[in-house]
Amino acid sequence: MRQGKGSGTYGILDMSRFYHALSTPAVVLLTFLFLIPLSIILSKAFVGIDRGFSLERLASLVTDAYTWRILRFTLVQALVSTVVSVALGLPGAYVLATYRFGGKRIIKAICTIPFVLPSILVVLGFVIFYGNNGIVNNLLRMISGSEEPPLRILYTFGAVILAHAFYNFPIALGLISSFWEQLPSRYGQAAMTMGAKRFTVFRTVTLPRLVPAILSASTLIFLFCFSSFAIILVLGGGPRFTTLEVEIYRRARMTMDVEGAAALSLLSIAVTLLLVALHLWAQRAMAHQEEMESPGQRRMERRPESLLARIVLPLYALATALFVLGPLFGIIYRSMQVPVSRSGDTEFSLRWYRQLFGLEEVAGSAFSVAGSAIILSLIIAAVTACLSLLFATMLAARLRTQSGSKELTMELFAMLPMAVSSVVVGLGYYLVSNIFPGSRSLRTALVVLAHVVIASPFVLRSILPEFRKIPFSYTQASLTLGATVSQTFRKVELPLLRSAMATGAAFSFAISMGEINATLVLSDSNLVTIPIVMYRLIGSYNFAGACALGTVLIAVCAVVFAITESIHRSRYV
Amino acid sequence: MSEAGLVCSHVRVTYPEFTLTLDLSIEQGELVSIIGPSGCGKSTSLQLITGLIPCEEGSISLNGKDITHMPVWERNIGMVFQDYALFPHLNVAQNIAYSLKLKKIRKNERTARVSRLLELVGLEGYGKRKISQLSGGERQRIALARALAAEPQMLLLDEPLSALDAKMRKRLRQQIRKIHEATGITTIYVTHDQEEALTISDRIVVMQEGRMEQFATPEEIYTHPSTLYAAKFMGEGTLLPHALIPQTLVSIDKGPETVVFRSSGESRQIFFRPERVIVHDNLALAFPEFLPHLRFNKARIINCEYQGGRYLLECDWNGHSILAYSRFRPKHEKVVLGVRVSDLIEYVDGIVVN
Repeated sequence: MRQGKGSGTYGILDMSRFYHALSTPAVVLLTFLFLIPLSIILSKAFVGIDRGFSLERLASLVTDAYTWRILRFTLVQALVSTVVSVALGLPGAYVLATYRFGGKRIIKAICTIPFVLPSILVVLGFVIFYGNNGIVNNLLRMISGSEEPPLRILYTFGAVILAHAFYNFPIALGLISSFWEQLPSRYGQAAMTMGAKRFTVFRTVTLPRLVPAILSASTLIFLFCFSSFAIILVLGGGPRFTTLEVEIYRRARMTMDVEGAAALSLLSIAVTLLLVALHLWAQRAMAHQEEMESPGQRRMERRPESLLARIVLPLYALATALFVLGPLFGIIYRSMQVPVSRSGDTEFSLRWYRQLFGLEEVAGSAFSVAGSAIILSLIIAAVTACLSLLFATMLAARLRTQSGSKELTMELFAMLPMAVSSVVVGLGYYLVSNIFPGSRSLRTALVVLAHVVIASPFVLRSILPEFRKIPFSYTQASLTLGATVSQTFRKVELPLLRSAMATGAAFSFAISMGEINATLVLSDSNLVTIPIVMYRLIGSYNFAGACALGTVLIAVCAVVFAITESIHRSRYV
Repeated sequence: MSEAGLVCSHVRVTYPEFTLTLDLSIEQGELVSIIGPSGCGKSTSLQLITGLIPCEEGSISLNGKDITHMPVWERNIGMVFQDYALFPHLNVAQNIAYSLKLKKIRKNERTARVSRLLELVGLEGYGKRKISQLSGGERQRIALARALAAEPQMLLLDEPLSALDAKMRKRLRQQIRKIHEATGITTIYVTHDQEEALTISDRIVVMQEGRMEQFATPEEIYTHPSTLYAAKFMGEGTLLPHALIPQTLVSIDKGPETVVFRSSGESRQIFFRPERVIVHDNLALAFPEFLPHLRFNKARIINCEYQGGRYLLECDWNGHSILAYSRFRPKHEKVVLGVRVSDLIEYVDGIVVN
C-alpha cells in the first residue's frame, strides 16, 4: 500500500488540531473582510423607496432594457476579446511547445507579465502606442507623409478588443503552451505509426487533449475581460461602450445612485460566480488529465529545419515582444520627452521626474500630488503583501490536509473574492466608508483591506499548489524523528514554501501597487495612489506626466517580476 | 506487559473497504519482514506502530511500555520511507542532525554523531552535499542514517529498496543486515520481494488483505507454508488434487508406508515446489528414485524456459499443469516426472494439514 488507505493518509493531522487552530483566524477574518462589504451591498440592493425590504429595485433593473444592453455588450466584448486572445495565443503555444529557438525564453517570460501588469499601464501604453499622436501613427505618418493620423482606433470597439488581446493573449500563450509541453509525445507517435499524417495527429490526438487547457485559459480570460474596468473606462470613451463594472462605478460615484449600483453588483456577482465555477471545473479537468498522463517521455523540442521556419520563428518572437513590450517602452520613452513647439516636436528632458520627486515646482494640476501618491502606494502595497501572505499561508495549511468534497468547498470559498469583481469589492468598502465619514486614515485602511481581499486568492493560488507538492512523507518523517506538528510546520513545511511565499508576496505587492478598480470606487480627492493619479493625468491629457508616473510603476513591477522569475529558476530539484 | 521488544495485541483499524488486524510480538533485536502484495496493509501496519495512524482497537507496547496513544514524536521509533523523504532544503548533515537538533544536543556532539553515522552507512564526507546531488542508493543510506540518529528504540523500513535497481538492491540489503547486526536494533522491514524477505529476516510475516497469514522463520515459511496463499506468494509450485495419489503412487520396496490415502472431496489438495520434482527423459534407464513417490508418466512439455543454470519446465499431465526445475534440456517432448511423498504438503480448504 502506497500512502495508507484514503482517509488514513491524513489521519494523524486530522487528529491534531494544529492546522485548524492555525487557519481559523484567517478564515474568520477573510470572511468578515469579504462578507461585510458584500452584505452591505446586498442590503442596499434590496432597499425599496420607502426604506423597507423590497424586490422592486431588482425587478425594475431586470426589466430595464438599458441593463440588458449593458450586459449584452459586456458579454459580447468579453467573448470577442477571449476568442481573439486565444486565437492569437494558440499558434504561439504550438511554436513554443514544438520548437527550440532563440528568443523562446523571452516569450515565456513575457507570458507572466500580464499577471503583474496594472491595467492603467495597459491603457496608457495603448494610448501612447496606438493613439492618434502615438508612436505607431507617427511612424506611419513619417512613411506616408500625410498629415492625418492613418490609424484612428482610440475610443472604438476595436480599441477595447485590441487592448484586451494585448493584455490577455500572453495568458493564453503561457497556460496552453506549458500544458502542451507536458503532453507525452508517444500518443502522437502511436497515431503516426498507424498512418496518421501530422495534421491528422493534431486534429485527432493533440487537440482533444488540449481542450481542458484551452477551456481553462478561456474561462480565465473571459472572467478578466468581463470585469475589466480601467480599459473600458478610458478606451471605451463613453456611454456607447459601457460595461457592467463601469456602469456600477458611474452610478456609485457620479450619479450617486448607490442603490442602483448595488443592484447591478448582484447581477455582476451572479455572472462572475458562474465564470469562476466554470474555470475551477476546467482546471480540475486539466489536473485530472495531467494525472492520467503518466510521466514518461516528454515532447521532444526540435530545431526548426526549413529556412522559412528558421526565419519566421525568431520573427514571431520579435513580434510578440514588440506587441507586448512596445507600449511599455513607449511609456518610458514618452516620460523623458517634453514638447518644444506647438507642432508637437519634442526633446529629451527629465523635467517630469524632477517634478515627480519634488525637485522642481509643479504648476498646479493633478501632478502635484504624484510624489505623495508614490509613498502612499508603497505603504499600502507593503501592508497588503504582508497581510495577504499571512492569510493565504494559514489557509493553504488547512486546505492541504483536506480531501474530497470538503476540500472543493473550502477552495471555492477561498476563491470567492475572485468571483466578486474588484469594482464590487470597492463599492462594498465605499459603502462601509460612508458609515464613518471624514476620516482619511480609516479610508486608507479600507483601501488596504479591499486590496487584501483582492490579492489573497492570487497569493493562495501561488502557495497552495506548492504546499500540495510537498510529499506527505516529509511531514511523517519529521514526526517520526521527534518533531511535533508545529515544529514540523516551522522547520520543514515553511522552509519548503519559502519561494512560493516570496512569489505570492511579490504578486500581492504588484497587484496592490497597480490596483485601480476598487481604489477608484473607494477613494476621494484626498486619497491618491499611483494609478489614480495616472488616471487623472490621462483624463486631463497630461500623457507625459502619466508616463513618468507609469515608468515608476513599471520599475516596481519589473523588480517584482525579476524576483519571481529568479525564484522560479532556483527551485530545489 | 514487561516483555522486551514490540507487542501488538488485537490491534485493529477499519476503513470502508478494508480492515487491518495485527497480533504479533517481536523480540528485542529481531529483524522481522512483513511481506505481501500491494494493498495488503503492510505500510498501514508500520504507520500504526509509529503512531501516524491512530490505533482504534487493541494495544501496542514497546519494551514493556504502552505506546498505544502516545503521539508520534514521543515514541522514538525511526522510520525509513519508501521515497526516503529527505528534506530538500537541508543538506545531508542537516538532515541527519534534524532529530538531534530537536533534542537540543550540543553542536560538537551533533557533528561527531553525524560523522559516525555517515561512516556506519559508508558515506564518509557526504555531509555538505545537497540531497539533489545524491543517487538513489545514497539517498537510501542517508535516510537510514537519519532514522538511526535519534538512537530509536525501534527501526521501521517501508520498502526501502523498491526504487533501486537489482544489483544495488542486493548490495544494500546486505548492508542493512550488517548495520542491523552492528546496532542490534529491533527492526521491521516491509517488502513485496520474497527473495529480499527470505535473505534478510529472522522471521517473516506474510500478509494478505489486512490479515497475517503466517509468522515464522524464512525456512519454515518456504518449506511449510501454513496456507496455500503463503505457499504461492513465497515461490513457484504445483497444486494437484489429493485424489491423484492412488493412480500415481509408487512404492518400490515395501519400505515404511508414509502415505495414508484419505478419500475426500475436492477441497483436499497437494502442493510441491519445482525443485523437488525429478525429471527423467531417458526411458531406457530406470527412474532414479527409490523412496515412495508419485510418478507422472508421459508428461508433455508445454514450455521450457532457460533461466541460466537451470530450466523451468511447464508440463501437462492428464490435463494437470506441473512445474519442474531441470538441470538439462529434455531430449524428448514427453518426460517422466516424480516427486517424493515426503516432499508433498497437504492442504484442506487452503489450510495446511499436519
